[in-house]
Amino acid sequence: MEGYSILVVEDNPDDQVLTVRALKNASKNCQIVVLEDGQAAIDYLFGNGADEALNKLGVVLLDLKLPRVNGLEVLNKIRSSPRTNWLPVIMVTSSDEPGELLEAYRLGANSYINKPINLREFTDQMNVLARYWLQVNKVPRAGSVRKV
Amino acid sequence: MNDQLRWRYWPIRLKLLFLTMLVSTLGIALVCVSLIVLENRTYRNQMESELHVIASILAEQSAAALLFEDREQLRSISSSLRQIETITQACVFDAAGMLLTSLNEPDKVTCPDLSTAPVMGFEANAYKLMVPVTLDQEVLGYIYLNSHLKVLRAHIQSFVMAAVGIGLLIQLLLLFVAYKLQRIVSHPILALSDTAEQIAIEHDYSIRAPVSGHDELGRLSATFNDMISTIQLQNRRILESRDSLERKVEERTAQLSLANRELEAFSYSVSHDLRQPLRAIEGFSQALEEDCEENLNDLGKDYLRRVRAASVRMSNLIDGLLVLSRVSRQTVEAEPVDLTSLLQEICDELCSIGDRPPTEIHIQPDMAVTGDSRMLRVAFQNLLENAWKYSSKKDRRRIEVTSTSDSAGAVVKVQDNGAGFDMKYVEKLFVAFNRLHTPSEFGGTGIGLATVYRVIRRHHGEVWAESELGKGATFYVKLPHSAEQR
Repeated sequence: MEGYSILVVEDNPDDQVLTVRALKNASKNCQIVVLEDGQAAIDYLFGNGADEALNKLGVVLLDLKLPRVNGLEVLNKIRSSPRTNWLPVIMVTSSDEPGELLEAYRLGANSYINKPINLREFTDQMNVLARYWLQVNKVPRAGSVRKV
Repeated sequence: MNDQLRWRYWPIRLKLLFLTMLVSTLGIALVCVSLIVLENRTYRNQMESELHVIASILAEQSAAALLFEDREQLRSISSSLRQIETITQACVFDAAGMLLTSLNEPDKVTCPDLSTAPVMGFEANAYKLMVPVTLDQEVLGYIYLNSHLKVLRAHIQSFVMAAVGIGLLIQLLLLFVAYKLQRIVSHPILALSDTAEQIAIEHDYSIRAPVSGHDELGRLSATFNDMISTIQLQNRRILESRDSLERKVEERTAQLSLANRELEAFSYSVSHDLRQPLRAIEGFSQALEEDCEENLNDLGKDYLRRVRAASVRMSNLIDGLLVLSRVSRQTVEAEPVDLTSLLQEICDELCSIGDRPPTEIHIQPDMAVTGDSRMLRVAFQNLLENAWKYSSKKDRRRIEVTSTSDSAGAVVKVQDNGAGFDMKYVEKLFVAFNRLHTPSEFGGTGIGLATVYRVIRRHHGEVWAESELGKGATFYVKLPHSAEQR
């Protein structure tokens, strides 16, 4: 279970570093894949070698506001394909617009969190998140879904 | 009585016809009556003179017989009167007034008694006449004649019949003429009335009434047409100005919605883009503190703490501005709000996060207002937080919320016994970024009361405050029951 990886889609380098630091604090052994924009995420999940990636993936942390292809579009794409629609997706954002919150859940987000300013709070959040989605939560593996 | 039968409901043609016929009937009736009266008199005079002639002839013939008192002769003379059908009685008297003979012997009683000076002339059914019989100016006797009036009656009767018949004929002729002539007057009136009705029903102000002649009716039609032209012109102007107003409203709406979209984009930027560098500043200074603590001296640690405190203040400012911007652009729903529960929830939250809850919190039960519950929550949260904050340095802290209500609306009173403020700065109280306390006394952003003011103004309400330094502050919120919301 410790072997499952977390995909972090985050365009801001500062937030990338802080997120990785918080996740490493929470779970030393987890593998973290960091991608910079929505298109890169789509390529990673649907392109060459996607099967292998999906097999190891435990949860996706998706920033809402991304250059080129935004977070909600990536979420929509994930939910539209039977290969990926089981994937736990957590929207991570610094905005708290009620409209976006609603839209994220409408498109099938599993969770929605606001990045807090305080680093300790953020670290606590990441801790809870990694523990729940990588250790407590169960997901159908990509392979079993694909046969359907 | 049926309304239609009343004079005021009669059509004008009928009225005109009726009046014309009434006048002509009166005229013809008067003429007929005068003719009848005249004829009656003429006929009577004629009858009177005829009888006088007969009586005079009779008197002349009887003079000798009276002189010699020859009764036989007198009887034969009077008997000759039987030829004349109208005479019913003839009596011959001597000078002393004694009846000598009469036409109808058995009917002697119909002869007058001369001793009582009988009345002569026309009576109800008869005409009576008495003439003296004279010879060389000596009265020898009297002759009395009585004539019935049947012939006169018959004559007058047939005359009346003829007059009425001719009168009716003339009436019929007049009816026909009047019917034709009333059109001259009624036609323009009817045309005007039809036109007015048509305009009223179709709202077509381009219709005009026909103008006939230059009399009062012609002037009426012309004036009516002028009025309709004026209305038509005014209508056109109203429509034009309405169209231009609509265009203006559309333009303004477009400008406003553009401004609103820009404002939304701006708030989004504030919420997302401003927070991101802030989070980096806060995050990395915290990471620096945690990961590299051993490399920092005390001064370095103090600077780092100040960086972090500043970023927390900025974060609060951004949050406050976001709330202010949100309450300014959200649509205001009007719904009944259970204010007591709402305040209780806020107090519970404040109690759970605050370090020391107030000694006494009194919230009046069953307070109800009308408004947008989300926005009112923001407003009262700010007011309660202020009461909480500014009373925090007192030993016995007391916060009280009460309300009074009348037909216009409710006034909610939020009272604390905290630090209060100087009333001379009351003007600055609700202006954003204006603070009446230094950050070292009480922390804050200066946006809270501006947000309260915005929320209450958007509910068409009012908010004001009273205070005395050191004795506490009272905030009043007046909310109308059901105002048209902006």
